[in-house]
Amino acid sequence: MASTRSSNSWLIWLTFAIGLLLSISPMPQFMEILRPLWLALLLAFWALYMPHKVGMLTAFCLGLAEDVLYGTLLGQNALTLTLITFLVLSLQQRLRVFPMWQQSLVILVIFGLAQLAQLWLSALTGNRQPTLALILPALVSALLWLWISYGLRGLCRRFKIN
Amino acid sequence: MGVRFLVLVVLSVTLMVVDARFTLLKPVRSQMSLVLMQSYWITDLPQRLWQGVASQFGSRTELVAENEKLKTENLLLQGRMQKLAALTEQNVRLRELLNSSALVNEKVEVAELIGMDPNPFTHRIIINKGERDGVVLGQPVLDARGLMGQVVELMPYTSRVLLLTDTTHSIPVQVNRNGLRAIASGTGNPESLELRHVADTADIKVGDLLVSSGLGQRFPAGYPVATVKEVIHDSGQPFAIVRAVPTAALNRSRYLLLVFSDSRTPEERANDAAKAQQAEQNGEAPSIVPATVPKPAAPVAAPAPAPAPVVAPSVAPVAAKPASAKAPAAKAPAAKPPSATPAAARPPAAVPATTRERQ
Repeated sequence: MASTRSSNSWLIWLTFAIGLLLSISPMPQFMEILRPLWLALLLAFWALYMPHKVGMLTAFCLGLAEDVLYGTLLGQNALTLTLITFLVLSLQQRLRVFPMWQQSLVILVIFGLAQLAQLWLSALTGNRQPTLALILPALVSALLWLWISYGLRGLCRRFKIN
Repeated sequence: MGVRFLVLVVLSVTLMVVDARFTLLKPVRSQMSLVLMQSYWITDLPQRLWQGVASQFGSRTELVAENEKLKTENLLLQGRMQKLAALTEQNVRLRELLNSSALVNEKVEVAELIGMDPNPFTHRIIINKGERDGVVLGQPVLDARGLMGQVVELMPYTSRVLLLTDTTHSIPVQVNRNGLRAIASGTGNPESLELRHVADTADIKVGDLLVSSGLGQRFPAGYPVATVKEVIHDSGQPFAIVRAVPTAALNRSRYLLLVFSDSRTPEERANDAAKAQQAEQNGEAPSIVPATVPKPAAPVAAPAPAPAPVVAPSVAPVAAKPASAKAPAAKAPAAKPPSATPAAARPPAAVPATTRERQ
């Protein structure tokens, strides 16, 4: 994250800003429970392909931003996003050589774990949420992983982010 | 890497505990929200633009029709207002006879919805008025048809409102017909409230209007909350199952009213009114508004000196206020103790009281 050789690393931050906007953009009521974890997806991608640029500290800061936006306790989303980034970083060597469908399976498991942590945290703070519905965002995110990583890799190649 | 992860986890857990238990992090949060809350505004932009375009290209006939409709509505409301003036006057006189405290007009301010909470399991909205506009924690929020909820989080220029139908929210209500008290809890469904622990024999019928009773010391008394949709008497259940539909359009209203209720005791109010009268007699300007009072360009009613015969036109924007409020409104002050912000938001008649409190 510290080295900024390439001039195009601001694009990474642009994607994060868009991710933040997407994570609060209004949606029809029935689609709300399917809202993908945009920030987590972006973090997973950048941590996988640019581990020298995007790390757990980035995840933590973005999580704090999300906490302020969502009105949850400061640190709640920060914790889950850090967890996701940690898991992706520790599986990074293997994940990068996996075929696409296998990658999205792993993503599903990681996001599911993060959602489980989220469920516990929100249960601790008093608002219990329906349990199984929390898996849906992870599922939708895993299905989106294919397109996200295609698109972002295209972006990397186009603007020579490294 | 593991070490860094551990440090960050410990840090976030600490942050959570501190945020939940103490007010230490509130300034940090409000500073962050100053920047981040702009994104709600940005995500709202397409709709705003669409509305702008639609109003630009709205055809003349549509506009004329709308104008016509609004005129009729205005006429109807004005008509009702005339009656309300007489009724208010009468109510005040009767209350004077009974030696009980007078009804107070609450001051209202218009706010606009700028975002919904992205979490589908909570019912919270974000409005475009915040701490700098004089909003206080726990402040009730209305729309044109009834109570919507209360402010639960303050940020400098925005605030978060918890709606009545959130599962963590309950409001003390009263059946308008007979004064039966109950507690309406949210169910997580935007179209439904549930009345808890209503006896099977209680006199409550489908179609009854539930108004806020003001007993929780948080919501002002007499605002419509919901209408009873169904009453189920199940002999297997200890209580009757009563479901109600909120009168406010909780998931449709875009313009909301923030109520600034009066948190003074009756004696203080009488004192203030006397002082205000004196000031008027001395030829001073009747409204001594301190420079700190936020003056938004909203159709706010001119605040009336409280126990004096109530000036009817000042109730005008509160269309939802029924004249038949039973509980003494004066006993429904805002739950928060008076601080600098609510003092600034009060009617000018309150100003002498706060200065006296400070002495």
